[in-house]
Amino acid sequence: MSLQLSEKHFTSAQPESAARRIVTFRVGDRTFGIDVGMVREIKGWQATTPLPHAAPHVRGVLNLRGVILAVYDLRTAIGLGSTEATATHVIVVVDVEDKTAGLLVDSVSDIVDVPVSAVRPAPDLERDEHGLIEGLVLLDTEIVALLDLAAVIRDGGDNQDKQLRVA
Amino acid sequence: MDPLAELKQTFFQECDELLGALEQKLQLLDEGSTDPEDVNAAFRAIHSIKGGAGAFGCTDLVGFAHVFEAALDHLRSGRVALGDAPFALFLRCSDAVSDLVNAARNDEVAPVRPDLLAALEQVGQAKAAPSAAPAAPAADAPPGIAALGNLLALVDSKMGAPAPAVPAKEDDGWDDEPVVAAPVRRLGYDVRIKITPEADLFRRVIEPRVAIGILPAEEIVSVACDLSHVPPLEALDVTDCHMRFEVMLRTALSAEEIVSKFDFTLANEEFEVEVLADAEIETAPAVPAEVPQSVAADLSAILARLGPSADAAPEPDIHPVAAVVPVAAAAVAAAPAAPRAPVRPAANDTVAARQRQAVSVRVDLDRIDRLMNLVGEIVITQSMLVECVRSLPYDVYAKTAEGILTLSRQTRELQDHVMAVRAQPVKAVFQRMPRLVRELAQTLGKEVKLVLEGENTEVDKTIIEELADPLTHMIRNSMDHGVETPEERIAAGKHPEGTIKLIAEHRAGRIVISVTDDGRGIGRDRLLAKAKSRGLVGADEKLAPEEIDQLIFAAGLSTADAVSDISGRGVGMDVVRRNVESLGGRISVDSEPGRGCKFTLALPLTLAVLEGMVIRCGDDRYVIPIASVIETQHLANTPIEHLTFGQEVLRWRGEITPLHRLGAVMGSAGTRDENIIIIAETERGGNVGIAVDEIVGQQQVVVKSLESNYGTVNGASAATILGDGLVALILDVDSMLRLAASGVRQPVPELKLAG
Repeated sequence: MSLQLSEKHFTSAQPESAARRIVTFRVGDRTFGIDVGMVREIKGWQATTPLPHAAPHVRGVLNLRGVILAVYDLRTAIGLGSTEATATHVIVVVDVEDKTAGLLVDSVSDIVDVPVSAVRPAPDLERDEHGLIEGLVLLDTEIVALLDLAAVIRDGGDNQDKQLRVA
Repeated sequence: MDPLAELKQTFFQECDELLGALEQKLQLLDEGSTDPEDVNAAFRAIHSIKGGAGAFGCTDLVGFAHVFEAALDHLRSGRVALGDAPFALFLRCSDAVSDLVNAARNDEVAPVRPDLLAALEQVGQAKAAPSAAPAAPAADAPPGIAALGNLLALVDSKMGAPAPAVPAKEDDGWDDEPVVAAPVRRLGYDVRIKITPEADLFRRVIEPRVAIGILPAEEIVSVACDLSHVPPLEALDVTDCHMRFEVMLRTALSAEEIVSKFDFTLANEEFEVEVLADAEIETAPAVPAEVPQSVAADLSAILARLGPSADAAPEPDIHPVAAVVPVAAAAVAAAPAAPRAPVRPAANDTVAARQRQAVSVRVDLDRIDRLMNLVGEIVITQSMLVECVRSLPYDVYAKTAEGILTLSRQTRELQDHVMAVRAQPVKAVFQRMPRLVRELAQTLGKEVKLVLEGENTEVDKTIIEELADPLTHMIRNSMDHGVETPEERIAAGKHPEGTIKLIAEHRAGRIVISVTDDGRGIGRDRLLAKAKSRGLVGADEKLAPEEIDQLIFAAGLSTADAVSDISGRGVGMDVVRRNVESLGGRISVDSEPGRGCKFTLALPLTLAVLEGMVIRCGDDRYVIPIASVIETQHLANTPIEHLTFGQEVLRWRGEITPLHRLGAVMGSAGTRDENIIIIAETERGGNVGIAVDEIVGQQQVVVKSLESNYGTVNGASAATILGDGLVALILDVDSMLRLAASGVRQPVPELKLAG
């Protein structure tokens, strides 16, 4: 499937001045972003304790200064298989719907300010990502997919066998 | 939260405590206590509630509390003998006050109880007549104004000068102990009382007329007000008290008695009692008892002159209890003699009183939880240190190990202390029960005495909160199904009044709470018939009497013929069981037909820390609560039978016990090599064998919620953090069995049988 950004995606009711500050991170060759306000901290990979019979994208639980939180493998959630976690991998600790969760990604790349008007609604992807993407931002060189974290945590992994194909 | 709302919150918290105290004291009095301190404590409680309620504008509450207080005051003053007092009425009134407090808390319209009010007013009316105390001629003026007017008139006439400073106190009709100027010549000696209130007198919600009004009005010879300390008008803060009073008393009361009269109102350093010789004082001229009608007018004129600040109500002290803390009366010699040194409470008494006020601090539960979490962290860090130290060279190791040993002792102590902070007496829950029993007894037409024991048994706060519902259900059940009506009881040769005992005690690291009634016991035939009709028990099944009793915990069973408000919908005891089990506790019932029934709850003392056995399966470690473990043994020595579908059983103590391989049930990673069988107890009292690879050790673990950031995990009740910082799941044996039964598990590997 090819992604055609039509004219209407560029128009927005939001004033140009309103900006969103986005943390971007990479999984494979894809770039994802979330609002900086949702990020509590970023830490190196740490071994997790698996949970019995949990969804595939649930890597397990870990101890973050006495609080137990679940770590979700974003790679599994978007259907690219399981991450072979090493010391270079990164856990982005986020606050989602009054819970704290960890998101396992390959690396954190940048923090960018994006005008609200530059965020386009997610194209109607037929089979991929099951509504995990809230919107898209076109930067100089790449497309950043803004994640709907609640959806990632809720039902990521349902589409484990599906391959992400965005042109 | 805005400061006022916060203050209000504090007030309601205090109300809960005060109501508890009020009810408890009334109960004691009802049971025949003659201790005047009980009366005083009850009076103080309602007085404090009224004071706070006035400050927060809870008019309904103030109104009711006021009448209630007045009725109690008759007891306090002895106008109504303790033996004649209607304590049942008072107890119902304390329930009504509790309702009013709740209504005020939730901003609801409070139910008006004119019946109770009328009955309370009767208390004073009926009993006051024969007493010697002169009735208060409050005239037509509102009682507060009249009393203030009395005081003004009194001061006025005895000083021969106007007394303009009094209006600084805005009257709100709280206290109306009237000061009646009706001097009666009587035997006794003269006493001079100098009252030098602190500037914050009004802010403590104390009024001079209340302080003085506590003295027997007929014994007051004169009251003089010294206004020399009043600052110039521009520097005047009307919420400060600048008045000094000198009261002359001709009385038979001893100095101690006078000192103790000021307990409620004045601090020890605020007054002096000086006993004078008989002859020293000339009798003051009599003072008209009638209040000039003009006083009220004068008062408003003065108020008007003082301007807008006059209506700045004295800032109420939100700790009315502190203001009325009884001050230990100093030991004073009472014999009337020539002028003697002023009687003044000893200084260290004052210090002691201050210390008593400071013995308890209100702390937000969240803060204690955070503290507890930190202690948990320290426990974990310390076990991490222990592991690190092992790799050090010997000479360094020896020294460090010593330090770590001390550290671990201190950590354990710290943990115990923090746990103790969280611990609260079960009283908090128990004291709600007498009211429940009273109300139910009235509804059901039964006579029931509730006996509470072990109210001071301490349990973790989290458990206390969860106890209220199960206990309420259990008491209701006993009231409704257990205890018979008085007629039935008499027919059965029992005392018409039934007894329900609510007992809490510590036993073997658990808190055990029992509810025992002396009623008819469980109707086994009916219970069994009902269970059979619902298909819970097979029609031909034979059950032991004890097994039938346990059916009371089955869902949807009730033997009550009619569904009532109280119980009978069959949602009671199974809910209780579920509540209790969710707290990690157990419930059981013992019944003796015709003799009564006893429910026993056993709960862990705390939900925050538990003693656990750390076990390993493959690469994963788990914790089994020691409370569930009965025994461990080597797999190799255990005879195992294979049933169909891979189900295994073992023979243990002559019984067939199912065996589950933990690694398979929980889907542990890594290769498994089961060596150990842990025999664990299930909630239903059955046993199960759990095969694991290794027992790593036994330690205290800090319970961490999985739900708060993730959700429920089948097979585990919670998680904990081990010494290496990694998370281990705390197994829930029953949940693990359900998981095993659901069939979501990996194939059982070939059994290895050694030897």
